[in-house]
Amino acid sequence: MTGELTPRPPRPMRARKAPWVAGVVVLAVAAAVAALIVNLVEGSLYFYNADEAVEERADIGDRRFTLQGAPIGCSIVEGFSGDEPVVAFSLSFGGAAVDVVHHGDPAELFQADVPVVLDGAWVEQPPPVEGFAGIADDGWHFSSDRMRVKHDNDYINDDEYAERSALSDAGADSTGVVCEA
Amino acid sequence: MSAGAVKTGSRTTRLLGFAVLVGVLALILLGFFGAPEDDEQRDAVRMIFVHVPSAFLTYTALVITAVGSAMWLWKRSRWWDIVAHSAAEIGVIFCGLTLFTGSIWGRPTWNTYWDWGDVRLVTTLILFLMLVGCLALRSAGGDEDAVATRAAVVGLLAAVNVPIINRSVEWWSNRTLHQKSSLTDGNLEDLTLFTLVVGIVVWALFFVWAMIHRFRIGWLERQLRAIDLETALVQRRAEASTESAGETSQ
Repeated sequence: MTGELTPRPPRPMRARKAPWVAGVVVLAVAAAVAALIVNLVEGSLYFYNADEAVEERADIGDRRFTLQGAPIGCSIVEGFSGDEPVVAFSLSFGGAAVDVVHHGDPAELFQADVPVVLDGAWVEQPPPVEGFAGIADDGWHFSSDRMRVKHDNDYINDDEYAERSALSDAGADSTGVVCEA
Repeated sequence: MSAGAVKTGSRTTRLLGFAVLVGVLALILLGFFGAPEDDEQRDAVRMIFVHVPSAFLTYTALVITAVGSAMWLWKRSRWWDIVAHSAAEIGVIFCGLTLFTGSIWGRPTWNTYWDWGDVRLVTTLILFLMLVGCLALRSAGGDEDAVATRAAVVGLLAAVNVPIINRSVEWWSNRTLHQKSSLTDGNLEDLTLFTLVVGIVVWALFFVWAMIHRFRIGWLERQLRAIDLETALVQRRAEASTESAGETSQ
């Protein structure tokens, strides 16, 4: 039993690593982080903006993708596609407009000029909603079934908003598309 | 309470704790009754008074974790190791709170609790998991120095995520559901801004209070381990002496 307390011979010292090893490790980690950032910045595609979606329509085909743009106020119509209740509207971004037919309930904060992010696909057919005259009117529409609202970071109360809206209404739609009277 | 009980509180922490309680009361009053509702989000905007301060303190905790980790790796100072450990533990609470409040806020405003396509959301979740991993490493046991070193490396790697999270809404400005910074880029109504600043101050006071207590607990745990080891050695030596004496007498 007493042998357990006998001091053990010290373990041989491990050879000290050369300083360049630490340098290589630091460089490797830095390179990995840089690669991660570059990859994230260049490779990440969460949604297509309306102008990109129109431009790349041929490449996208009929696969599902996510679209972003701001609804144009005068275009929003609640109607039916067959027996199904839908919301039809046109949205715009970067000077391009897209006609949208959204199946299901719109988001709580869905309103003109507040951008939305939609999941769906291109359909080569005019929007099948009675009473909806799309602003794009190009023989295509985007059929969506999931809507998120991309609100901004302006937090203002109703009084200030009313003043701002009055100024905005005096000119063109903030999306850049002028609604016809 | 027994006479020998050790406390982590002091006059300073009691004052801090009192200030936090008063601050939380003020924040509730300002948040619910003082600050106006938003033109778009209505009452849902009030979540900003908890969500943004939580995110701010998450970043703060990560910076302290990174500094503590780096100092441990450089100086092998146990003091810095306990600082890193304490900040990581508090950071995981604030990070969890940020994710939770963001999710609750997202439902009425974005129309979703979560979106896997959003860079800020996903990188914040990665940060949370890294912090949990860092704490799991510490609780796994083993050689104290080796555990501290492994946790320090994970703590530093987790901190790399902070600038990515913070700048994500700028780098992916048109590729993220999350809005840009409310404090630096936003347009905040006066009382909304004031309440938000109060929220940050209150959360910061709570952070300091929790850091002091957690650090003192860590320091006491360390001392206790050292005392336990010393006691075990003394007892073992005593046993060995007794056995040795018995063998000699026979």
